[in-house]
Amino acid sequence: MTSRRDLFIDLSVELTGYSRVQLLGTGMSERYLQALDEVLPDGMVDEFLATSAALPTMTIDAILRSETWGPVTRNIMILWYCGRWTALPDSWRAVHGTRPADSNHVISADSYQAGLQWVAAGAHPAGARQQGFGAWTVAPEEAAS
Amino acid sequence: MSEHRSDERANGIDDAQHDVVVVGAGIAGSLVAKRLTQAGFSVLVLEAGPATAAAFDDYSNHVQAFYAATSKGPESAWPPAAGVPQPDTADIRTGDGYFVQAGPLPYGSTYTRLQGGSTLHWLGVSLRMLPEDFQLQSSYGVGRDWPLDYWALEPFYGEAEHEIGVAADVVDQTHLGLEFAPGYDYPMHRIPPSYSDRLLAAAVDGMTVNLGEDQLALKVRNYPAARNSMPRGDYRPVGAVDQRRAGQGDGHGLARDLGQRCAGNTACTPICPIQAKYNAGKTLAQADGRTLQVVAQAVASKIQLDPVTGEVRGIEYQRYDDPASARHTVHVARGRVYVLAAHAIENAKLMLASGLGSASGMLGRNLMDHPSIYGWGLASHPVGPYRGPLSTSGIDDLRGGPFRARHAALRVDVGNDGWRAPTGAPDSTVTDAVANRGLFGTALREHLRSTLSRHVRFSLNVEQLPSRSNRVSIDPRYVDLLGNPRPVINYDIDEYTLAGMAAAKRVYQEVFRRAGIKDCTDPEQGVWFPSVAYQGDTLHYHGMGHFAGTHVMGNDPAQSVVDTDQRCWEHRNLFLVGSGSFPTMGTSNPTLTLAALALRTARHLAKELST
Ligand SMILES: Cc1cc2nc3c(=O)[nH]c(=O)nc-3n(C[C@H](O)[C@H](O)[C@H](O)COP(=O)(O)OP(=O)(O)OC[C@H]3O[C@@H](n4cnc5c(N)ncnc54)[C@H](O)[C@@H]3O)c2cc1C
Ligand code: SF4
Repeated sequence: MTSRRDLFIDLSVELTGYSRVQLLGTGMSERYLQALDEVLPDGMVDEFLATSAALPTMTIDAILRSETWGPVTRNIMILWYCGRWTALPDSWRAVHGTRPADSNHVISADSYQAGLQWVAAGAHPAGARQQGFGAWTVAPEEAAS
Repeated sequence: MSEHRSDERANGIDDAQHDVVVVGAGIAGSLVAKRLTQAGFSVLVLEAGPATAAAFDDYSNHVQAFYAATSKGPESAWPPAAGVPQPDTADIRTGDGYFVQAGPLPYGSTYTRLQGGSTLHWLGVSLRMLPEDFQLQSSYGVGRDWPLDYWALEPFYGEAEHEIGVAADVVDQTHLGLEFAPGYDYPMHRIPPSYSDRLLAAAVDGMTVNLGEDQLALKVRNYPAARNSMPRGDYRPVGAVDQRRAGQGDGHGLARDLGQRCAGNTACTPICPIQAKYNAGKTLAQADGRTLQVVAQAVASKIQLDPVTGEVRGIEYQRYDDPASARHTVHVARGRVYVLAAHAIENAKLMLASGLGSASGMLGRNLMDHPSIYGWGLASHPVGPYRGPLSTSGIDDLRGGPFRARHAALRVDVGNDGWRAPTGAPDSTVTDAVANRGLFGTALREHLRSTLSRHVRFSLNVEQLPSRSNRVSIDPRYVDLLGNPRPVINYDIDEYTLAGMAAAKRVYQEVFRRAGIKDCTDPEQGVWFPSVAYQGDTLHYHGMGHFAGTHVMGNDPAQSVVDTDQRCWEHRNLFLVGSGSFPTMGTSNPTLTLAALALRTARHLAKELST
C-alpha cells in the first residue's frame, strides 16, 4: 500500500513542478505532513490524500476548484515554496472548523531555508547557505537555462 | 564579560568612581569606550539591553529567530527586553508601538536597544558627507551650516573607516567635490559589484536627467560598505564577536576564523549570520578590558546634577536580571565626565526626562530622516537578484549641485534583494502566482523562475532639512514598563523635501525606461508604507533608520545644544554623541559621520582628562 508520505509527495510533485527527489531532498516532507495534521480536522488529511490519489482521473484543476480542497491545496504549494502556513479563509473555517495551528506562521527555521522559491529564483535563502565571497558577481545559474 | 561584572553591580557596588560613564553600547558609545580605555582611563558603559549579541552562540540564536520569524522586518532578529521597548516597523501602520506618533505624518524609522545597538541590523552603507553638505546655508540658502567643515572631519573619517572596517576604493569615491587625504585609501578593497549592478551600469552610465535647470549625468557606482572584503596593505579584517563569560571560550573577544570576508548571505538587514558586516560589538571587544566595565541590562533613567556647579554628578540607572520582567533595582553611576551615546532619540529623551538642556529651546528639535521612495520593476533578462549584500551600488550624482537651492538632494540605492523590501517577495510573488494567477506544477515553477530572476528594486533616499517642529518630546501620560517616558514624535515633510521626493520618483522612472526595466511599482499592492499627498500625486515613503538632529551642534549656545566637541553647552562635564548632533544630514547614511564625530570627541576627552 502506498504510504501517506508517498501520496503526499506524489501530489506535491504535481503541485510544485519539482521532482520527487528534489522534494525529498528538502528534508521537509514529514514535517509538512505533520503540519497538515495539526491544522486540518481529524481524518481530513487522509481523505485529502485519498482524493488526490485518484489523480490523474481527478485533475489538479478540479481539486483547486473544490471549495474544500482548493484552499488546502494552494496552501500546500505555498508551504513547499515558502516554508510557511497561511491561515485558511474564514469561509473554509466556517464549514470545517478552526484549529489553533491554522495561523500565518513559518513552520520552522529549517522550513524557511528549505523553501523552493530560493531555488526557483536561482538564489539561496536569505541569511543561510551563503554562496561565498563574490558569488553575486556572476550570472545566476538559472539565468542560463 | 559583561555578565560576570554585572553580577557585582547587582550586589550594590555602586559608588566606584570612573573617569568616564558612557550611556549606550552602540557604535558611538563603543568607539568612545575603546579609545578612552586604550588611553588608560577607566570607563563604565551602561547598556539598556541584554548582551546576547556578544557571545557567538547567543548571537546564533538571533539568526534562528530570524529564520523562524513570520515577519522578516528589520527588527525580526532582535526582540527587545520587556522594560526596554524599541520602535518596530510593523507599528508604524498601527500607530500603537513604542513611539507615540503625534503626527501630522508617521515617522518611519526604527532602532535597536540591545547591546551593539542599531548596527546589529544596519545595512552598512558608509558614505562620507559631501563638503558642500557642511555649508548648505551659505552655499544654497537652505538648512543650517555646520560649525565644522569637511576638512576638520576628514582625518576622523579616515580613522572611522579603519575602526569600522569599510570596503571601498578611493578612485570610485572622488566626485562631487569629495577629496581624501593624499595617499589615503580605504582599509579594504571595494565589495565587488553585483551582476545586476554591471548590467544596470552598462545600460545607464552616461544618461542624463534634469533637476530643475541642472542637467546631471548618471553613473552607477560602488558604495563604501562596512562589510569585510579583501584587505589592503596590512589591515586585518575583524570577524565575529565571541565574548564568553569568565572560564568559557579562549579568552579572546573575537572569533578567529569567522566573518573575515562577506560570504553573500543576503541578510545584512536584519542580521548578518557570520558578522562579516560591522556591528558595534566588534569595537567594544577591542576596548582595553583592564579598564572597561560594561553593565548590560542597565537602563539610564535620570541624569543627576550638582545644584551648585550645574555639572552632572551621577546617572541613575535601572538594573534588571530578567529581560522578560520589569523588576529592577535602581543604582547610580559616577564619573568625572558623562557621555550619552544612547541614540539620537534616547539621548534627547534622557535629557528631557531629567529636566535638562532646555536653555536653547533646541533639545529634541530638528529631527530628520531620509524619507525614501521605492521603485520596483522587471528587467528584460535575468539579473540574478536575491544574492549578495542587499545592495552593492548606487547612483550618487544627484547628491549635490545648485538644484539644492530649490529642492532636496537624493541618492539612489540599487538593490540586490529583488522585491523583498517593497513587496515581501519572494513569498508575495509565490502567493500571487498561486492565489491570483491559479498557477501550479511546472507552470508555477517556470513563472517563478522567470519573474523572480528579473526583480529589480531601487530605494531613493531623499535629504530632509532640519525643522523646529519636527521633534521628540515627552509626556507623563506615556511611559514604558519601567516608568521611563516613551518618545512622542512630531513629524512632517516640508515642501523642499517633497519636491525632492517627486524628483526621485521621476528619476527612477527615467532610469527604468532607459534600462528596459518594466515599472511594476504599485504601493497599493506592496508592503504598507505611510504616504503623503504632493501636487496631485501620492508619495509613499519609508524611513531609513537615519535619525538626526535632536541635540544639534553649533557655535552659539542660544541656537544649539552641544558645541563642536559635542559637549553640552549647559553642563560642561556632559557630552552627547551621535547623529543627534548633526545640524543637517545631506544624503549620506549617518553612521560613518557620527563615528567620525565620536572619535573626534574621544580625542578631545583623552586630552582633557589627562590634564
Ligand atoms: C534598518 C536600518 C538600516 C540602517 N542602515 C544604515 C546604513 O546602511 N548606513 C548607516 O550609516 N546607517 C544605517 N542605519 C542607521 C544606524 O543604525 C545608526 O545611525 C547607528 O546605529 C546609530 O548609532 P548610535 O551608537 O548613535 O545608536 P545605536 O546604535 O542605536 O546604539 C545606542 C545604544 O544605546 C542603548 N541605549 C538606549 N537607551 C539607553 C538607556 N536609556 N540606557 C542605556 N543604554 C541605552 C541601546 O540599547 C544601544 O545599544 C540603519 C538603521 C536601520 C534601522
Ligand atoms: S551579504 Fe551576507 S555575509 Fe555579506 S554582509 Fe550581508 S549578511 Fe553578511
